[in-house]
Amino acid sequence: MSLALKLLTGIFILCFPLTVFGWDWQTRVTVVVKDQPLEAVCGLLEKEYGIHFSYSRELVDLSRKVTLTAHQQRLKKILDELFAPDDIRFTRVGEQVVLLPASRNTRTISGYIRDAGSGENLIGATVYAPALKQGTTTNQYGFFSLTTVKDTNSLVISYVGYQPYSQPVAPKGDQFFHINLQPLESLKEVVISAKEESKLQEQTQMSKVNLNTSEVQSMPRLLGEVDVMRTLQSLPGVSGGSDGAGGLYVRGGGPDQNLVLIDGTPIFNFSHFFGVYSLLNANVVKTTDLYKGAFPARFGGRISSVVDISMKEGDMKEYHGDASIGLIAAKFNIEGPLIKDKTSFMFSARRSYPDLLLNAALKSDNSLGMGGDFQAYFYDINAKVNHIFSSKDRVFLSFYKGEDNLLLKQTVDDSSHITSPSKYLGESSKFQLGWGNTIAALRWNHIYGPRMFSNITLNYSQYEFFTEYEHKYVLPASGEKSDMYRKYNSIMKNSGGRIDFDYRPNSRHSIRFGTITTMHNFKPGNSSFEDKDSPVTPLDTVDASLKVTGLELSLYAEDDWQIRPDLFASVGLHASAFLVQGRFYYSVQPRLGVRYVLPHHWAVKAAYTHMNQYIHLLSNNGTTLPTDIWVPSTQRVAPMFSKQLVLGIGKTSTNLKYEFSLEGYYKSMHNMIENKETNNLINPAVARWDENVTVGKGWSYGTEVMLQKKKGSTTGWVGYTLSWSNRRFPGVNNDEIYPYKYDQRHDIEMVLVQQLGPRWEFSASWHFNSGAPVTLPVSSYAGTGNASPWEPSPGNTNIDRYDNWNNYRGAAVHRLDVGITWSKPKKHWTRSWNLSVFNVYNRKNPFIYLISEDASMQKRYLSKITVLPILPSITYSIKF
Amino acid sequence: MKYFIVGAFGLSMLLSACEKKEAIQLPYEGDKIVVNTLIQPDSVIYIRVTRSVPSNIFDDNGYKDIPDATVTLTANEVALPLQLQVIKGLSYYVSGQKAVLGQQYRVAATAPGLKPVTGTDTLPSPPLVSAAAAQRNSNRVQFTLKDRPGSADYYRIRIYRTDTTNGPATFLLFRLDPAFNNNLVDFFSKGTYNSLIMSDERFNGKSVNFVLQTADPITGSGNITVEVSGLTYGSYQYLSTLSAQNESGNLIAGNPVRVFTNITDGYGIVGGVNTKRMTFKIE
Repeated sequence: MSLALKLLTGIFILCFPLTVFGWDWQTRVTVVVKDQPLEAVCGLLEKEYGIHFSYSRELVDLSRKVTLTAHQQRLKKILDELFAPDDIRFTRVGEQVVLLPASRNTRTISGYIRDAGSGENLIGATVYAPALKQGTTTNQYGFFSLTTVKDTNSLVISYVGYQPYSQPVAPKGDQFFHINLQPLESLKEVVISAKEESKLQEQTQMSKVNLNTSEVQSMPRLLGEVDVMRTLQSLPGVSGGSDGAGGLYVRGGGPDQNLVLIDGTPIFNFSHFFGVYSLLNANVVKTTDLYKGAFPARFGGRISSVVDISMKEGDMKEYHGDASIGLIAAKFNIEGPLIKDKTSFMFSARRSYPDLLLNAALKSDNSLGMGGDFQAYFYDINAKVNHIFSSKDRVFLSFYKGEDNLLLKQTVDDSSHITSPSKYLGESSKFQLGWGNTIAALRWNHIYGPRMFSNITLNYSQYEFFTEYEHKYVLPASGEKSDMYRKYNSIMKNSGGRIDFDYRPNSRHSIRFGTITTMHNFKPGNSSFEDKDSPVTPLDTVDASLKVTGLELSLYAEDDWQIRPDLFASVGLHASAFLVQGRFYYSVQPRLGVRYVLPHHWAVKAAYTHMNQYIHLLSNNGTTLPTDIWVPSTQRVAPMFSKQLVLGIGKTSTNLKYEFSLEGYYKSMHNMIENKETNNLINPAVARWDENVTVGKGWSYGTEVMLQKKKGSTTGWVGYTLSWSNRRFPGVNNDEIYPYKYDQRHDIEMVLVQQLGPRWEFSASWHFNSGAPVTLPVSSYAGTGNASPWEPSPGNTNIDRYDNWNNYRGAAVHRLDVGITWSKPKKHWTRSWNLSVFNVYNRKNPFIYLISEDASMQKRYLSKITVLPILPSITYSIKF
Repeated sequence: MKYFIVGAFGLSMLLSACEKKEAIQLPYEGDKIVVNTLIQPDSVIYIRVTRSVPSNIFDDNGYKDIPDATVTLTANEVALPLQLQVIKGLSYYVSGQKAVLGQQYRVAATAPGLKPVTGTDTLPSPPLVSAAAAQRNSNRVQFTLKDRPGSADYYRIRIYRTDTTNGPATFLLFRLDPAFNNNLVDFFSKGTYNSLIMSDERFNGKSVNFVLQTADPITGSGNITVEVSGLTYGSYQYLSTLSAQNESGNLIAGNPVRVFTNITDGYGIVGGVNTKRMTFKIE
């Protein structure tokens, strides 16, 4: 090359950046954008300064919106600021800025969050890395896993009623922690803290309400009992039957359509005392999650709601307990370490006691005769043991048994048979009635690695209703004797196992998957009869009971997925199959949810879910009672399924004080059963139950709005529900659509908890719902029973003509309950008194209607019966 | 069912349940013609025609007649003459001829201002019953029923006693002996009825020795009559739903019991019955 050519080349190279590449990293640029995607900012730089960007859309996501005001700043600084949060690397190649994803050196920080005092796992605690603006929450075993591509030097862990904690993190490598949170000292602070510092706009899950112990404990009490079910009834979208005494009706669904899980084990009957109280002692409940819609894929088997209750595990460090006595029940709870920091236990028991007083009174005046007895009570016991084998393995063993019992034993020993031959000699009778649940579960938590958590559960759940009757007598005049004994029971059993995996591959995905196997054993309607002294041969000896075994299998997977910085999805699928009596049913249920974050921290959410239910609850005459029996789907009655669409918006204020949610839902329910409009005095065999029911559909839709104040000395919520719920069954109501029995148009719930200094807490709740539908006759007319007026007749017969079902609306129901609690801490224990007044202004709410007659006025009236008037109660508790 | 509701909430009631009149009018769907006749073979036919009333009217005197009603009766589409008679204070349209097994009977009624109504039914075969007996001071009454094989048959059973002076009959409350009855609630609640309406579902084609248990032991002297009626499906539906409505009481709980009617545009029943009575002395 000649010298001239070399000089020319050198001049060309030296001049090139100044001419063709008209920029360098020090070039000062001005960028002013508001809420624009990164892609638009790049376009702006290209247009204004000729800076070309090259990148692959599959590898580099420039959709994040940014707001930037930079005047005459260095290009390098601006690009750092723009791309660092998304881990986008940039480098200059020729005239272009090439964008690359950050090198994938991910790390995972995982561990357990526990109560520092008791070692109890904390469910739903928030783990947050402020530098990365990333976070997660603990699962139901207190486990968390946060995988990130960036380094952080600390995590902030927060949870209701606990001091937030900052956990230092080593700069590199996977980390595993056991983090212990210190509870806040004063009762006041525990109660008033936010229940879960996860904002609504940060959760894709909708239609979910979480209740923690302090919220349940703060509610006014009915006869001295705090109660999970009654607290759930005070939430929008949940109805509680007649005057709150009759189970849970969620978004127009029936009480048989709720999946109630206690530590993951399903139970069949959620109440004591005919639906007035929950079957659980609220003092041993840690948290309760209610899902009214948008069901996660891990739940299945019922079509209207999921109530997921987690029980306390037992203090790993010290012995604690509480005991209390109210007007209806007495209870105690004790927990503590068996081996400190390794094994703990929890045991609680509760029994209602008014029957003991009544029995003593009856015995003292010999009302029941010799050997007479009266019992009417409910009880429940909970026991739980858990053991930590290693930092990766923990085992829980839990047991529950609860029953309601009624016993009446009477003897009549009078001498009237001497003068009257129609009187019995030595008559005695015994009547016993009871029902209850027994559940047991063994669970094993195992951590496979920092990103993979698993839980294996073996569980057993049984519901039994039983009754016995004995009647003995002698008719002295004829010498006739009778010694009858009849026994009846219905048993429903579930035994099964499930394996659940929780996998957090990176901060944008939270994956759960697993499998569930359930063996259903149905043994309803077992009846035996014995009459030792009767010459009568029974009409038939056919065993009318039903013994069926069904196998249910489910597979599920769900991913909580961050698609874009402002768009999230929850994508899930639940597939299940049911094998019963040679028939095979299956269903594939999509569980989809989406969340889009709007400006000002509002989130708009939508969800669409299918649910399937292979078992039906057979009720007597449309009224839910403990005698109801569970039966599997048959050839005539296919499995129930529901489809639900939910749309809503939600926001938690920045200071976590207020939470607002507004949701609209539409739910269709298919293959529901209703008794046919025929009535037989002789019941047909249980095995042919499906011939007496008709299979139909239901629809419910409505809007729920809830504003909650979660922090401060005043907390509580206001909820409003506007809803419709209808049914249609062939052969019922002339095949026409009719309103469901708990179709209540308006429902208002107001709950207030007010701290009055360190020792006093006041609470009030006001409930209103518009009248429930009832069916009233539309006319009356003469009946007949004889072919001829000359024949003997038992009298004139009146007939009421019923037209459409639920053609009339009963009176609105409203009620104010208040409670005040005074607590005094002592050195080693705390004692407290609670005074509650149920139905303060003594509103006479209808429990049931009847038509009463006034023969003298030749008139009939509609009357209402009220069973829950103003009811003050007092409870004394101690806690140590 | 009512027993359970009452039992279930007994304890709640102890807390001071109270009853209060609601200040609302019961709904009314307007006046309609009510035709009631149960037609017995070999007997003249008695047809009663009345008017429906709002449910807030209490009437235990058999309801008001429709004085200007026009009533026609046909047997296999042949008109039968009717005569208006007042029996025990109530008006009946009485046929001049006795009903005959195998014929189809149709009753039509019209009245000014009301929709015309009709009702039709046939007559059932007589029940094959025998060997009725009851023992004094016992609470069991027995008889044998031979069911016809193949066909679906329906029955009503009633028991009444008449004393020796031929006074009015007293209907006895009874139930199927517990060995027969698989109705749990009836058993525990000792529920008794004055009629038992059933199908032959559990004993089709069999000869069954029925044992009925009366609420109180049968004492004294006099006659006991066991009345067994064969029913058509229409009469069975009418009588069984009527009995169920009576049993459900005045509580408005659960699903309403709608009484069957085969009267188009009106209410009531045109139904066939075939009653056999076995009367015997209390031994």
